[in-house]
Amino acid sequence: MTDAIWLDHYPQEVAKELPEIPHHHLPSLMGEASKKYSGQKAFTQVMPNGMNGTLTYEKVDELSDHFAAYLREELGLVQGDRVAVQMPNCLSYPVVAFGILKAGCVIVNTNPLYTAPEMVHQFRDSGAKALVVIDMFADRLPEVIGKTNIETVVTVKISEFFPAVVGKVIRGVQRYWSRSLPPVEVSHTLFKDALAKGKAQASGKDYLEGIGRGSLAALQYTGGTTGVSKGAMLTHGNLVSNTIQMLQMNGKYIQEGKEIVLTALPLYHIFAFTVNLLGFYYVGARNILVPSPRPPSNLKRAFENYKVTWLSGVNTLFNALLNERWFTDRPPKHLVASAAGGMALHESVATKWQEVTGTPIVEGYGLTESSPVISFNPLGGKVKIGSIGIPVPSTLMRCVDENGKPVKQGEAGELVAKGPQIMKGYWQREDETNSTVVDGWLHTGDIGEMDEDGYFTIVDRKKDMILVSGFNVYPNQIEETIAAMDGVTEVGVIGIPDEKSGEKVAAFVVSSLQEPSREEIIAYCREHMAAYKVPSMVTFVDELPKSPIGKILRRELRDGALATASSSSDTSKGA
Amino acid sequence: MRELMILAAEEANAATVVNEFEELLLRIFVVTIMFGLGAGLTPKDFGLALRRPWGLIIGWVTQFGIMPLVTYLLIISVLLPFSSVEGIMLVALGALIMGSVPAGTTSNLFTYFSKGNLALSVTMTVNSTLWAFIMTPAALFIYSNFLGLDESLSIEFSELALVIFGLIVPVALGMFLRRLSANIGAVLELIGGALGLLFIPFLIIIWVPRNWPLLMSTEWPTYAVAIGMGLVGITAAYYLTKLFKMHPMNARTVALETGINNGPLAIAVIIAVYIDNPGIDQILLVPALYSLFIVLISTAVTLVFRRANLAAEQKIPNLL
Repeated sequence: MTDAIWLDHYPQEVAKELPEIPHHHLPSLMGEASKKYSGQKAFTQVMPNGMNGTLTYEKVDELSDHFAAYLREELGLVQGDRVAVQMPNCLSYPVVAFGILKAGCVIVNTNPLYTAPEMVHQFRDSGAKALVVIDMFADRLPEVIGKTNIETVVTVKISEFFPAVVGKVIRGVQRYWSRSLPPVEVSHTLFKDALAKGKAQASGKDYLEGIGRGSLAALQYTGGTTGVSKGAMLTHGNLVSNTIQMLQMNGKYIQEGKEIVLTALPLYHIFAFTVNLLGFYYVGARNILVPSPRPPSNLKRAFENYKVTWLSGVNTLFNALLNERWFTDRPPKHLVASAAGGMALHESVATKWQEVTGTPIVEGYGLTESSPVISFNPLGGKVKIGSIGIPVPSTLMRCVDENGKPVKQGEAGELVAKGPQIMKGYWQREDETNSTVVDGWLHTGDIGEMDEDGYFTIVDRKKDMILVSGFNVYPNQIEETIAAMDGVTEVGVIGIPDEKSGEKVAAFVVSSLQEPSREEIIAYCREHMAAYKVPSMVTFVDELPKSPIGKILRRELRDGALATASSSSDTSKGA
Repeated sequence: MRELMILAAEEANAATVVNEFEELLLRIFVVTIMFGLGAGLTPKDFGLALRRPWGLIIGWVTQFGIMPLVTYLLIISVLLPFSSVEGIMLVALGALIMGSVPAGTTSNLFTYFSKGNLALSVTMTVNSTLWAFIMTPAALFIYSNFLGLDESLSIEFSELALVIFGLIVPVALGMFLRRLSANIGAVLELIGGALGLLFIPFLIIIWVPRNWPLLMSTEWPTYAVAIGMGLVGITAAYYLTKLFKMHPMNARTVALETGINNGPLAIAVIIAVYIDNPGIDQILLVPALYSLFIVLISTAVTLVFRRANLAAEQKIPNLL
């Protein structure tokens, strides 16, 4: 087994092992913060034009109690019942999420942009009995609800908990200007009525009796990139541990009761869920919730009006901000650091970010299946750009070969990890669980390497690896190289079947000016990498297919490329 | 924007201008719009416009360099050769005055709608209005000499002060309120924008019927000058900014700021200086037409600019 050589690089203030945590479930963890910071602002939702609403810790605590009572008393749900949540970042989200957990129920985060069939799959698979949904997206419900076990639909407004006048203005704009309020054609309860009913029936009963570390807290769906989406069973223990692990790693750089964290990533995604919602709540930070960072100029007012100290993001978001003039002209003055995850952070982006803002991006790594944080660059220690850092406390990580045997330090192998944050398994999919979690080791499907300091680097996704005449080619490396060229906004690299070499490298480039040219890109690659890695095909595209959090979907790129190759039509799109 | 109402009355009798109530109403309208738009700004926006003074400098050059020149060229190439109207030189004089005055609030409004740099626009308006004290008479002196006219004109500083005051105070107040509460700021901005949007069709609707005879009796060379000034001015300034590789946001701002001149100011100046001139109606002709058509031209340009802005906007995946 690999030695935990990374422990030598833990900053002094970071404990090597997770300390004893007195909290056995999330409501207990959150409850500590709710009491400690009761009068402080917990969440502020900021619209693109600067309109905003705020909830204090005390208010979030009180409202989520009401919602828990609604679920248990009014709807008659019991411990372990699943409740689906489908909304963008807004003030209702923490109230709903904490309410579900306080009721002893299980939260099923659902992407609001899902199509009807995707919703049906997730609701049926999870067996959710209730759904809390943003009204803007409720128009798909009539074709969905009947095919699921959902008995109750609660609708929330984007302007929930805003000052009355401002809320009405937003409502008016939604209804008459942007016309984004379709009629809700299934029977439903308004969120505010649900809260009122819960308040009326609150009995002070303990809904959490018997809920412990091993109890299920969330079914977090994943695997959209491999095909069928499956629910990772995250327990209270997983999420409590991971929250503390993540905070531990950032040591004194996250100050209790003082931070203002910008939450532009969706809370329904595990990264923002654990890091922003749970982690920063626990330390008494103020979460600035942005419903949609698209276009990136939507973040302008949030940065102008609040002294943002932390930001969590993915490569796409950091890159987008660096391409916004208002951002580079006036980078946030109070920023301490940013956390990156979800996808590989490009070195060029990390370096430019440091130049523009004067603050580091610390890259971490994790999967939905690991709640998600497995490793992080220690902010108080050595931060290595391009590395996913070292395992968080109480976590083991190593690279293994096809037989599960650890490879030598410096050699590439599949990353596996073990720790208190690793999921219980996939919901009702024993086979997949057994092939993914072996003897407590989570097989990540990522190829990585460990350097002499115990820092890990992701080489690529196992399944994205391209085999050119027997040589392993990792798309990430080629993407990094091309992305560093001036004029290239983004790039996606895939392998496509080739008669001669088995597979050949194809690059899809987004470049607003169509500069550099195809020939220039190829010449540049020749200069920077071995010949077999140089793309034999460079295609300019307007946009790359991406997952909801901005990961480039290489599978879709590949499918698109294959479809184009097989059809003789010139009109079919390459991506 | 006040110009249009003035013009409505002008036809009957230039001396009566608009009645006090109408003038007050229009001033309130304009001040409210600027108050709302100001609520979208922060002191840093202005700091940035001043820290990078290229926009301001190029804007100054286009304002007093391009616009009077464009007007002069239109006069000698279109108006004088093709017009048969008596007193055509008075019409030309009015056009020159219109071309030599600085920008006004209308340019700020259209910059806002064009997703331009509003802080730069306001700064440019203030800057060029201050400079107008020297530059407007100077430009008029030069080009009227070329035309063989011996005109000299002085602007009352109080007229300019009024323009600046009417701009700075509401903008500063809006900024202050936004600082106090982002919610109040955002609501004010929305109201300002909505009023601005209503203002455009409102002006056209009241202007056109009341001035129908004027529109019918004017010959095409005069139209060509009144329309061409704004159109050519905006286009020329836009391409000049491209030459200097200005950021698209600032390029749009400078273009609009250059092509949209302060109609009310031109009219006020003409009335103050030429009130006893029997040909004052002719002098007021181009400023009157310009004031209507610049609103139409700017609306069209704004639509083009907005489309370009949308196309250039970063497309990132929907994180919703």
